Amino acid sequence: MGSLAERNGYDVGLHLLDRQVLGADDRPVGKVDDVELLLDDGGALVPTALLLGLPALLPRFGPRLGSGLARLHRLVREAAADQDLPLVVDFDLVEEVASDVRLSEPSPRLLHRMAHERADDPRRCRVGDLLGLAVRCAALPRHSKVLDLRMVGSPNGSGEHRVAALLVGPGRPGALLGYDRRSEPGPAAVAAVIHWLHRHARVVELGEGVEIDNEAGEVRIRAGTSLAPLRG
Amino acid sequence: MKCSQRPAVVAVRLVASLLVLLTGCGVVSEPDATAWDQHAVQALTDAASQVATARLALEAAGDGRTWPTYTTVLVAEAEEAAGTAEEDLARLQVPPERADAAPEVLDLLGRAVDLVAEARAHAVAGTYDDRALLDALDRLSDDLRQAAP
Amino acid sequence: MKRYFAVLLGILTAIGGFVDIGDLVTNAQVGARFGTSLAWVVLMGVIGICVFAEMSGRVAAVSGRATFDLVRERLGPRIGFLNLVGSMLVTLLTFIAEIGGVALALQLVSSVHHVLLVPFVAVAVWLVLWRAKFSSIENVLGLMGLALIGFAVALWQLGPDWGGLAAGLSPAEKPGAEGWATYAFFGVALFGAAMTPYEVFFFSSGGVEERWTAKDLGVMRANVLIGFPLGGVLSVAIAASAATLFLPAGVAVETLGQVGLPVAVGLGKIGLAIVVLGFFAATFGAACETGLSTGYSLAQYFGFPWGKFVRPREAAGFHLILLVVTVIAAGVLLTGVDPIMVTEVSVVFSAVALPLTYFPILVVANDPDYLGEHVNGRLANLLGVVYLLIITIASLAAIPLMVVTSMGQG
Repeated sequence: MGSLAERNGYDVGLHLLDRQVLGADDRPVGKVDDVELLLDDGGALVPTALLLGLPALLPRFGPRLGSGLARLHRLVREAAADQDLPLVVDFDLVEEVASDVRLSEPSPRLLHRMAHERADDPRRCRVGDLLGLAVRCAALPRHSKVLDLRMVGSPNGSGEHRVAALLVGPGRPGALLGYDRRSEPGPAAVAAVIHWLHRHARVVELGEGVEIDNEAGEVRIRAGTSLAPLRG
Repeated sequence: MKCSQRPAVVAVRLVASLLVLLTGCGVVSEPDATAWDQHAVQALTDAASQVATARLALEAAGDGRTWPTYTTVLVAEAEEAAGTAEEDLARLQVPPERADAAPEVLDLLGRAVDLVAEARAHAVAGTYDDRALLDALDRLSDDLRQAAP
Repeated sequence: MKRYFAVLLGILTAIGGFVDIGDLVTNAQVGARFGTSLAWVVLMGVIGICVFAEMSGRVAAVSGRATFDLVRERLGPRIGFLNLVGSMLVTLLTFIAEIGGVALALQLVSSVHHVLLVPFVAVAVWLVLWRAKFSSIENVLGLMGLALIGFAVALWQLGPDWGGLAAGLSPAEKPGAEGWATYAFFGVALFGAAMTPYEVFFFSSGGVEERWTAKDLGVMRANVLIGFPLGGVLSVAIAASAATLFLPAGVAVETLGQVGLPVAVGLGKIGLAIVVLGFFAATFGAACETGLSTGYSLAQYFGFPWGKFVRPREAAGFHLILLVVTVIAAGVLLTGVDPIMVTEVSVVFSAVALPLTYFPILVVANDPDYLGEHVNGRLANLLGVVYLLIITIASLAAIPLMVVTSMGQG
């Protein structure tokens, strides 16, 4: 399990999303249903919190199924009016990310419901919203999407965390199944099939040439921006 | 946008139309000789199996190898299943080509049901050593298997 | 000394735990119709469950993650959810079959109709799930399930033509009256019965509950690699004893009473009583395992507290699910549906659902982030990929074969 901690950089979708969250007392708190990102003054995308609960999970099911299920959820839990906002665990509380996400405090004290102002803040967005965004780029196949976000920083360290690059390509977020990393041995046959399916996927550094447009629901990559192959 | 139907949607439609086709086939059932033959063979095989089960159960009980409730449950279930086999075939409309053969088959099945019912009565009463009944079960089981090639 | 005892206990319970209503019914049916010509499928299924359970047990021991954690982490929430729904439906179907099996076993001793017994069985299962300690459930019922060894003894007492049974092992010895489609259908059903997915959910969740660590890998492997194959031997003994008594008489197995008849003929009352006790233990144990598995999978997917080690009040969601599935199962059985029929359907759908959980486990078992130095070796990966293919074929073929042969009648 040490290999992830030692690495400087990780993929949010692969290493953080959907992992089990445990409090310092070993009690299950929930799953990392989504991760909140903040566009800070320097223009960097910084993770600020883990989002937990159905209001964070259901939107990730996609526009149609997700909103249907969310409506159903509101119908069932009508009594709790604030239940359309997820629970928030601040990123500072994350102590260790391994096969589970361990927090530095025992479970009952750390959860609080997201405030409405925070949910409406235009500078904040969720990883779940970014994954699957259409990518417009001349050098990539037409149906390319954002497949994952690559972070700098060790998930266990307290130092700088920010989104450094996007994994883009045709397919579905999560369909890489972790076979994008250099170290992955896999059963050779499965790895070969997945690599072939994702032969057009590329890594693009966030910077000048990349513009994330949440309103239009797309990411535009200017011609000439350098695209690195996945397993460079 | 129009031509880019998602594969999942296409698959769902395919499965749906397949289901409609299959259920359609099930509903439309003309009296057809081959289909009737198939059902007849199935019913005869089932009945033969139930008769043989009743025979084995009574024999084991006669040797003191089972306890009464076990024998009763076993033979009662055989009786029920033999009855179902007969009813299922009797419910089908007999195709004209089988007008002669059908009464014979149904008669054989009827005898199976009666005999297994008798076996059940014996099982309930605890009289397991009725040699004549065991022989009759043996003979009927053979007849049923011969009738179902 | 204590450690050896623990290993032995684990192996013994794995033997008893391997056989459930699906194995009992399917093996007897197959034996009565096809003799031993499908025994190779049991062998294949046993190797498969060993590969599958060893991988998931290793992941559970080293990383503390059970099956449905992996499913969601690797497949994402959306596909993971569809997977969850599919697997839960199959497990629920198996749960219904097991509860029906307990009622049928009790009917054999009480002669009370099984539908009348269902409510009592359901309440008993729920009480055990709610109240009893996890390890005691597994040990007591697993050990009682060993009573099914009676089938092996009965086979020996029946004095079959051993040469004939051995010669019948080849698929070429399929009885001429049966078509190849029927043969394939029962092959898939037998494979599904041997490899039922819930066994793996339960095994890995149990590992997490008992807080296995990398140190327990040896014990875990002994349980899997000795216990399951011996369970497979029991399965073949059931098939062979049914073949000896029923194949010549032309009897098709359709009730649990028939499944036990070869033992009655071979061993008499006492042997039969022991085996019926084995029926009860095996089905009751499997009912507890499948019931818990539905709760485990849902709780693992959504990440709320689960398990028998957490007090019921803290794992309220988990225990609510157990209550709901028990009520559903009892409700379905009270409609008077034949539990044997439910069993036949459940083993086929088990085969259909296998790839859903097998594939994520295979992928994660190769991930050093989870397993460090304990990732799959060459042998595990070779077998893993071969079985991925076999399972996919069985899964795709299952429903077409079911339709073509009308559940094996044709």
